[in-house]
Amino acid sequence: MLLNRQNSGERWRKRRDGKEKVTGELRYLTDMTAEGMLYGRVLRSSHPHARILSLDTSAAENHEGVVAVITHRDVPGLNRFGIAVPDQPALCEDTVRYIGDAIAAVAAITPEIAAYALSLIRVEYEVMETITDPMRALEDTAPRLHPQGNVLHRTQVKHGDAARALQNCAYVVKEIYSTPRQMHAYMETEGGLFIPEPDGRLTVYAPTQHGYKDRMQIARILDWEEERIRVISSPIGGSFGGKDELNVQPYGSLLALKSGRPVKMHNSRMESVRAGLKRHPMKIEMETGMDEHGRLKAHRVRIVADTGAYATLGAPVLNFATEHCMGPYRWEHMDVEGISVYTNNGVSGEFRGFGGNQAIFAMEGQMDRLAELIGMDPWEFRMLNRRYPDDPGPLQQEIWRTNGLEQVMQALAQSSLWQRRRAMSDPSAYDFLSDASSPPWIKRGIGAALAMHGAGLGYGIDDPAGGRLSLNAAGQIEAAFSYEEFGQGLITTLEIMLMDLFHCTSEDISIVIGDTDRVPHSGSSTASRSTTMAWMGLQRLKNPFLQAILQKAHDMTGIPLEQLTTGEQGIWQVTLEDDTEVSREWVISYREIAAEAQGNEFTFDTKFSYPTTPDEVVGGHFLYTYAAVAAEVEVNTLSGHVRLLDTYHTVAAGPAINPMGFIGQIEGGSVMALGFTLTEDAVMEEGHYMTRNMDTYMIPGIQDMHTSLEVEAIEDLPENDPFGPRGIGEIGSVALAPAITAAIRQATGTWVTQLPVARDQLIRPAGVWQQEGVRP
Amino acid sequence: MTKTTGIQWQAVVNGKAREIEVPPSRRLLDILREDLDLTGTKISCEIGRCGACMVLIDGEPMNSCLMMAYQCAGSEITTIEGLHGETAEELHPIQEAFLEEGGFQCGYCTPGMIISTKALLDRIPQPGEQEIKEGLCGNLCRCTGYGGIMRAVESAADKCAYRSLPSPVVGP
Repeated sequence: MLLNRQNSGERWRKRRDGKEKVTGELRYLTDMTAEGMLYGRVLRSSHPHARILSLDTSAAENHEGVVAVITHRDVPGLNRFGIAVPDQPALCEDTVRYIGDAIAAVAAITPEIAAYALSLIRVEYEVMETITDPMRALEDTAPRLHPQGNVLHRTQVKHGDAARALQNCAYVVKEIYSTPRQMHAYMETEGGLFIPEPDGRLTVYAPTQHGYKDRMQIARILDWEEERIRVISSPIGGSFGGKDELNVQPYGSLLALKSGRPVKMHNSRMESVRAGLKRHPMKIEMETGMDEHGRLKAHRVRIVADTGAYATLGAPVLNFATEHCMGPYRWEHMDVEGISVYTNNGVSGEFRGFGGNQAIFAMEGQMDRLAELIGMDPWEFRMLNRRYPDDPGPLQQEIWRTNGLEQVMQALAQSSLWQRRRAMSDPSAYDFLSDASSPPWIKRGIGAALAMHGAGLGYGIDDPAGGRLSLNAAGQIEAAFSYEEFGQGLITTLEIMLMDLFHCTSEDISIVIGDTDRVPHSGSSTASRSTTMAWMGLQRLKNPFLQAILQKAHDMTGIPLEQLTTGEQGIWQVTLEDDTEVSREWVISYREIAAEAQGNEFTFDTKFSYPTTPDEVVGGHFLYTYAAVAAEVEVNTLSGHVRLLDTYHTVAAGPAINPMGFIGQIEGGSVMALGFTLTEDAVMEEGHYMTRNMDTYMIPGIQDMHTSLEVEAIEDLPENDPFGPRGIGEIGSVALAPAITAAIRQATGTWVTQLPVARDQLIRPAGVWQQEGVRP
Repeated sequence: MTKTTGIQWQAVVNGKAREIEVPPSRRLLDILREDLDLTGTKISCEIGRCGACMVLIDGEPMNSCLMMAYQCAGSEITTIEGLHGETAEELHPIQEAFLEEGGFQCGYCTPGMIISTKALLDRIPQPGEQEIKEGLCGNLCRCTGYGGIMRAVESAADKCAYRSLPSPVVGP
C-alpha cells in the first residue's frame, strides 16, 4: 500500500502525545527543575590521550556557590560504564583516552558558577601519542589504549574457498569503501534532573532507550541496590541510538548524592559533540567475483571499524556489519573478516542501522559495479543473484521465511521512478532525464539499492521482552512496558494495538512506559524491536485479561459469558445470529469492574524473549525486514553539488499498525541517510573535533529535502505469522546511500567509494561535460 | 565574583506584561525558560543555527539564543505557549495541522518550527514549496525528514486561509 493519509483510513491517528508537543506544554526531562536545584557541569579532558599526573580540586571546592565537586575518588562502586563492556570510566583515574573523557564534575548554585569552578580545577597531564588511525593502532609499536591491547573485537565468516574462487571468476570487482563518523544530532542534547529523595532513594529523570539498563549501571556505579533507584526516561527529544549508553547519568547521580540536593545536567551542543557517541567510521574492502553469466561466486570482505576510545556496542556493531556485508544474495564462497579497533578518537557506538548502513553501502556498490561490468540492468542483476525464501540467512543460520525480498524487488521494479530508469536504456531517452530546461552542466541519474536488515539483538545476546496488562483503578485498560518514546511514535502504536484488541476508545486506555517503578522489565527500545515485542506481549496477555474481566462482568450481571465483549467505555452484550451481530447493548463500565477488583485480579504479566535463530551463530538474526530504495539525483558538475530529487522506498515489514509513524520513520530515516551520504561527518584532527556544532556539522535542512518521497508498505506476512508487525525504525536509513551513489554514477560517470560524497570529484571542467556521463 | 548589575527588563510576553530584573546580557532563551518558566522554547545548538528556540519578536521570527535582554526589552514576544486558536483552549490552525499531518516526532523542534510557520504564513498566506522551504530554512528537524512538516505547513496555509474568510451568510 502506498502510505499516505488518504490510504490509511482510521489508522491515521493524531499522536497521543501530540497535543502537548505542538503547544509546548510537554516537559522533556531536560526542561524539569526542582526546588533548591543545583547545576552540574563536567570537566573533560584537554587531550585525546594523556596520563593524569595530578588532580587538584581544592580551589573549586572552596569557591562560593560550589556545593559539590566529584572525582574518581567519589565513586563508591564500579567506576566504569558501558552497555555491553563496561570499560569507560565514569571519572578517569589515571589515563584519558579521548577528548570527551570526564575527570571531575561540579554542582553549583548557578550554571555560571559551575562553569567557572571547572576552570579552577588543576589537572597536570603527561601527553601521550594520539592514535587516530585504526591501522596505526594495530602496529606493534602503538601504545596500548587498554590492558588487552587495541583490538576490541574480531569477526570471521568463511565458507568455501573465496581466494581460489576469485581467481577463477570471469569478472572481479575490488574496491575500498569508507564511511563517515556520523553524529546522531538529536535536537535535545543529553541531560536530566537527579533528585535524592527523602526516603533515601534516588530519582533519575534522564532520557535513555532502556531505563532498566541505566538503573543497573547507575546502581553499579553507586554500589546501591537497584531498587533504590527510580529511572524515568521518557519523553525523549530524539535518540537514534545515541542515548542508549549512559551519558550524564553518572555525574548527575553522584553529584546529587554528594550534595544532597537535586542536580540538573544539560549538555551544551558542543559538549554533546565532544562526549557523545557517533556512528562507527568503517573502511570496507570488498573483492567480489562472478562467472561469465553474471552469477555471483565469491565475496571477500575486510572491515576495519574505528570504535574510538571505549567499547560500548562496538563488538555487536561489527557483528552486524559482518552479517550484512553479503547482502540478500547467494554465494558459494565467502570470506569475511572484521576488526574493531580502539583509537583516541571519539567513542563510536550504537546508531540507527547499527553497522548495516556501512556494510550495505559497500555491498550494493559492488553489485552496481558488477552489473555494469557485465552490461546488465542493475536490478535484473540483483534479481538473478537474490537469495530464495528457503535459503539460510547470511551467516548460514536458520531464519524466518517470508517473501519480503521478492516483494520489495518487484515493487521497486514497478515503481514509476525505476520505470523511468528503464526507459533510459534507450540511449536517446537519456536527454529526457537531463531536463531540457536545465543547463548542460546539470546531470541527472537514477540508482537503486536493496537491504535485508536484521531486527532484535541476535543470537547469544540476552534479549528479554515482556509486558503488563491490567485494569487500573481509574477503570482504564493499562498497558505497561519498559519501552521508551523517543519520537518514533511508540505510544500511538500501542494505543492503536490496544484499540484493535479491545475495540475500546482512546480514553479507555492508559499507556505507561519509561518509569522503572511502574513498568515491568520488557527489554530495550533498540534494534527495531519494540513494535514486534509489544505486539507479541499483548497477544499473550489479551486472553487471560479478557477472560478475567468478562468473567467478572458475567458474575456481576448474570449475562452469559459468550455474549460479553469489550468495547467503548466498558463491557457490551452482543447477540449474534449466524455470526451477524443483531444487537449490542451496554452492560457495565470498566470503572465498575475495576471497583470490584480483588488485589491484582486484573493484572497480567508476561515474559518471553525476542525470537532468535536456533543455530549457534553469535549475533545472527532470525527476523529480517526488507527494503528497496530508488533515488534520482541531479549533479551540478560545475560545483559538485548533488541534489536528491526523488526517492521511492518500499519496505516489507508486515502490517503498518501506525501509518503516520511508519511514514515518519521511513522519511526521517531516509533524510538522515541523505546526510550520511552527502554532508555529515564529525571531522576529527589529532583526536579533536573540528566540527563542533550545527554550523559546521551539516545535517539536512528543509532546503535539502527532495521534492518527492514515496513510501510503499508491503504488509503481507506468512499466514499465522507469530511475530506480527516488524519494526521499521532503522530500515529507512540503510539503503539510500548506495542508491544515491549509483545515481551519481549514472549522472556523472564517477564511482563514489567514500562518504560523504566529496564534491570535488564530481566537478568537470567547463566544456568537457559533453563527453562525460555514462549511458546505461 | 562580582555581581552583574541587573536591568529592569520589561516586555509583553504572550500578551502579558512582564517585568524582571536581569543582567542586560542575559539571553532571551534563559529569560523565557528559567525566569519565566516557559520551557516550550527549546535549547539545542545555542548559536542560532537550529531554530529550536525560535520566538516572535514584534512579529518577526528570532532565535532567542542570540537575543540578549537589552536587545528585546520593551518588545512584544510570542512563544509557543502564546499560540492558540480562537479561544485559549483551542489549538491554532498551524498546531492542528502539525498534529494531523504528522509534522513532528520527538517534538523537540516543533515549537520553533510552528513559530517559524506562523511568521511565514503571516507574511505569505499561501506559500509555494520554495517559499515554505525558505521560511523554514532556519529550523532543523532530525526526526521527520521534513515530509510531514511540508504537508503540515501546506495544510496550515489552507486552514488559515479558510479561517480568515468571512463567515458564510446563512440564508433564510
